[in-house]
Amino acid sequence: MSSFDSLMQGFSVALQPMTLMYGFLGCLVGTLVGVLPGIGPALTIALLLPLTFKVPATAIFVLFAGIYYGAMYGGSTTSILLNTPGESATIVTSLEGNKMARRGRAGPALATAAIGSFVAGTIGTIALTFFAPWVVDAALAFGPAEYFSLMMLALVTVSAVLGSSALRGLISLIAGLLFGLIGIDLQTGQPRFTFGQPEFLDGIEVTIVAVGLFAIGEALYLAWQGKENKKTEVLAVSGSLWLSREDFSRSWKAWIRGSLLGFPIGAMPAGGAELPTLLSYFAEKKLSKKPEEFGHGAIEGVAGPEAANNASAAGVLMPLLTLGIPTSATAAIILSAFESYGIQVGPTLFTQQSGLVWTLIASLYIGNVILLVLNLPLVGLWVKLLKIPPQWLYAGIVVISVAGVYGSSNSVFDVGLLFFFGFLGFGMRRFDFPAAPMIIGLILGPMAEQSMRQALTISQGNWGTFFTRPISGTLMAVAIALLIIPNSLRFIRSRKLLT
Amino acid sequence: MSTRLVASFLLVFCGVAIWQVFSIPESTMYSEVGPVLAPSILVALLSLLGVFYLLTTMSSNAPDCIHHDDERPLPGGSRRVMYLLGGGLAFIFLAKLIGFLIPATLCGLGVSMAFDAKFNIKTILMVLAIAGAFWTLFSALLGVDLGPLINFSF
Repeated sequence: MSSFDSLMQGFSVALQPMTLMYGFLGCLVGTLVGVLPGIGPALTIALLLPLTFKVPATAIFVLFAGIYYGAMYGGSTTSILLNTPGESATIVTSLEGNKMARRGRAGPALATAAIGSFVAGTIGTIALTFFAPWVVDAALAFGPAEYFSLMMLALVTVSAVLGSSALRGLISLIAGLLFGLIGIDLQTGQPRFTFGQPEFLDGIEVTIVAVGLFAIGEALYLAWQGKENKKTEVLAVSGSLWLSREDFSRSWKAWIRGSLLGFPIGAMPAGGAELPTLLSYFAEKKLSKKPEEFGHGAIEGVAGPEAANNASAAGVLMPLLTLGIPTSATAAIILSAFESYGIQVGPTLFTQQSGLVWTLIASLYIGNVILLVLNLPLVGLWVKLLKIPPQWLYAGIVVISVAGVYGSSNSVFDVGLLFFFGFLGFGMRRFDFPAAPMIIGLILGPMAEQSMRQALTISQGNWGTFFTRPISGTLMAVAIALLIIPNSLRFIRSRKLLT
Repeated sequence: MSTRLVASFLLVFCGVAIWQVFSIPESTMYSEVGPVLAPSILVALLSLLGVFYLLTTMSSNAPDCIHHDDERPLPGGSRRVMYLLGGGLAFIFLAKLIGFLIPATLCGLGVSMAFDAKFNIKTILMVLAIAGAFWTLFSALLGVDLGPLINFSF
């Protein structure tokens, strides 16, 4: 069956009232968490993981996809009106978007962000629809050695290349990998890192780590700073929410360019939205007919990066759905949701769970339309949410986090672990250790170990198998190069500066 | 807390991890790679990186946000952190004994006070409403097991 036919079948399921309702709910919740500072899609999806015991798989993944896309849309509102980017990917949006709002052009800034997100989300989803089956075909040739090498590449790039420091990124990653090994070894039945505690035998739930690091850690950090009550003002939505002819003509090329930058970079093992948004911003600055407006509220500076951000979100789904490799914290938690249903994510997903995958992809198209409709007309409501006093907002976030973790196991030991990881997250935030590599390490650690052991069993203990098989060797070489070259260049540059 | 202290904690963590690697029981099952190899490699790598981190803290290259003007906390940071953690501890010790509502309210109260809310009836009622609303959402509507709302039968 062709991709188009499969997609049409996906639409037939995604448009059923119940699935549509989950999609709408996901978009609504996603926009809400995107708008509210301190909550992101990773945390929200982690908190909703207990629902996997009750809700059918198709509905839950449509819900999660709506949350993931919705959060991307909602993040721009905070950046533009509050000048507080909820995540690193929307920093660039706030550069020009907030300046536009201060000049009385918040409406056009929000409009170009929302329409750009729609255009980019749709282009990204089209690319996912037609490129994913190619990647699946290629990945079907992968054995355990290739998988292990691919995971090494993803782990190295996520931790060592994207963060501000390779050293701190790698420490976070390896700590995550170690946390992932806690519990019974599935091949031999031996307990590892359990300290004799039966609570550790099943390992540490990804929900606990993710919610601890993101929700409790963030709340602790902001409480410690004590500046949340002295927040910057929320700007009013000034100007028309329709784009003028001039605004549209300045925006549409930026949307397309941002989408074309965002999707492929998001789909790479390194993933991430920071790089494409930055590249898009500088590309628009270079190509603009009015470069003097940059820094004072240029609409292209909002349109391009917002499009890049949303297209990269679609890109991140590519390695997740085709290879089973998460390249962001949100993707890692979606992967653990697949595991909750006992669904093996990877190239076989497209054949064994074809209905689920194509419904998910179809729901992304529908979600984009829902989000466009939700975002602009309801912008007044989203602005009101930004005015919730922090003491109630964070009390709500922490209590819902505690309830989510306590509810999934009914164990106060898990709540203790939640606060342990919260305190760890606070320390990591203070000392600039990235949290995402820890989550990805936690998820990928057991999978990577399993692939490594399978590959070594097949090769009868020959470690050369990772380097002598063509695909595996190439992936390993790229991983090693990415680990060494940027650091070497940085070292050489610092030596030059000293001399 | 200085960056050197963080590096020391990291190395202590590595020490504990090494002890745990040596505590992994021998497997009687044949396996090309046993359960000890991956943990050993990871702990060795983390220890190495921990030493590198300690070295960077000695050359003052490791960042701590209190050195940035925008990020530096206002006075009373430790007190606010203690409020929040205290709320969490209250939940941990009381949830099994007296049900969800009161421990979750105490937890929310700790968080609110960590964000400079005044300890008064309005704050208590507000966090009580938040805790009650989440119990209703999770337990009554979504069927997630949060235990009883209130339990005085111990």
